[in-house]
Amino acid sequence: MGPPLIGISKSIERIKELIKHVADTHLNIVITGESGVGKEVVAQNLYLRSSRRGKPFVKVNCAALPEGLLESELFGFEKGAFTGAERRKRGKFELANSGVLFLDEIGDMSFSLQSKLLHVLQSGEFAPLGSEREFKTDTWVIAATNQELDQNIKNGTFREDLYYRLNIIKIIIPALRERPEDIPPLIDYYIEKYSNQFNIKHLDKPAAPVMEKLVAYHWPGNVRELQNVLKRYMVICDWDEIVSELDFNGSMQPETPAATKPDHVGAIKMSDLIDLTGEYSPENPAFSLKKVKKTILDRVEKEVIAQVLQQKGWNRSKAAKTLKISYKTLLYKISDLNILPPKNYNNTSD
Amino acid sequence: MNDQYKLLIIDDDDEVLTNLCKYFRQKDYQVTSASNGLDAVKILEAETDGFDLIITDLVMPNISGVAVISIVKKKHPHTPVIAITGWGEHPEALATEAKADLVMEKPFQLTELDQIISNLLSRKH
Repeated sequence: MGPPLIGISKSIERIKELIKHVADTHLNIVITGESGVGKEVVAQNLYLRSSRRGKPFVKVNCAALPEGLLESELFGFEKGAFTGAERRKRGKFELANSGVLFLDEIGDMSFSLQSKLLHVLQSGEFAPLGSEREFKTDTWVIAATNQELDQNIKNGTFREDLYYRLNIIKIIIPALRERPEDIPPLIDYYIEKYSNQFNIKHLDKPAAPVMEKLVAYHWPGNVRELQNVLKRYMVICDWDEIVSELDFNGSMQPETPAATKPDHVGAIKMSDLIDLTGEYSPENPAFSLKKVKKTILDRVEKEVIAQVLQQKGWNRSKAAKTLKISYKTLLYKISDLNILPPKNYNNTSD
Repeated sequence: MNDQYKLLIIDDDDEVLTNLCKYFRQKDYQVTSASNGLDAVKILEAETDGFDLIITDLVMPNISGVAVISIVKKKHPHTPVIAITGWGEHPEALATEAKADLVMEKPFQLTELDQIISNLLSRKH
C-alpha cells in the first residue's frame, strides 16, 4: 500500500530518518506542505513502519465535507439521532480504532468541530451523535495541511490548544521546486511504475536536455503534477511535446516565491528593474521618464523573449507566433536587445 | 559524587544549550547535548543504560520536547525529566501530561535549576 518516499535531497533524507525514529511512538503528528507534495505518502510510510501496520488506516478529507456531515463521518451516529438516521453508523474514530486516522486538510475543519476533536485527543473518548455514552478509542491521529496553521491561529480560525496537541511531531515536506535533485529519481520511478502498470515496453527516459528542462520547471502542482505529466507521456510518447506543454512562465528562478506566480513581471520589485541611484538617478541631468521607461521595457522584453525562445528550443517561427509579433520583428529584437542563444545552439532549427 | 550522574540536555537555542552544558560540566556532571529532538531521540536509542536526568526545551522543530518526554518516559519511566520553556501554557500543560517531573519557565537561575536537579537525583537514589 502506498508508494515509497522517492528522493535523494537532504530534506527527503531527513523525513525518512524522522519516519524511522518516530513511527513507533504513535504520537500525534502534523504533516505540512503544498498540495501534491506527498503528505499522504508520508502518513502511509509512518503507518507501515509502525506496529499498527495491518490495522486500519482510515483517511478523512476535512475539506471535502460540510461541517455537520464531517462530524457524523468522524464520530458516527445512533439510530434515530436525527430524521433519516434509520440505523446506527460507525464513525471514522471507531473504524480507525487500534490503527491510524489520517485527517487531511485539517486547516479546513470548522472551529466548533476542532473543539470536539480536541476533546477526543485529550480524553481518548468520543460520543457518536445522539449517543448518551462515550466510547473509548485508541487511534493514532496523523493530520495534514497545506495551510500555515500558526497563521490560522492568528486569524482566529484554528484553535491554539488543538495546534499544540497535534503538533507534537511536525514533518514539513518542501515543494518539489525547492528540491530539484529529486525530480530525476521521481521520473525514473514513475516511468518504471507506469510502464509496468500500463504494460508499455521500451519507454524512453528523457534525454539530458529534456531532463534539464524538466528539472528547471517549477512544478506548481508538485509530485502530483509530475505524475500527471508522466501519465500523459505514456499516451503521446513525445518528450518535446510534453515539455512544450509545460507553462514555463516565471519558472526559471525556482527558488524565489515570485516564480510561483504566473505574473512574474508583476512580481518584480522596482529595485530589480532599475537602480534609481546611479545612472538613472533623478539627480542626473540626463534623467527623463521616457529614458527610464525605455530601459525598463527593454529589460522586460528581453526577459520575456528569451524565455519564450528557450521554451520553444530557439525555434524563432514558433516563438514569434507565441509572442504574436512578426518573424522579422523578432529577429530585429533578438539583435537589438542582444539576446544570445545557448552555447550548444545549432542555427538550423527554424 | 556528581561525576557519576549522566545528564542529557536538549535545546535548539545554541546559546542556552552551551550555557547549560558549560555550567553542569563545571558542576562535575557528565553532560551529553542535543540541539534538536531528532538527535536527542537518536542519542536515547543508542544509550541503552539511559541517563540519570534529562533537561529538554519544549518548542523545537520536527520532534518537540513533549515528544521527547513521552519517548523517554515510555522507555525509562523513572528517569526524571525537566522541561524548560519560554512559551505559553499549552505546551507546558502537555509536558505535564507527558509526565515531565517539572516545567520551568525561562528565564531562571542556573543555581535554582542545579538545586532542583540535586533534589530529583537524591529522590531517585
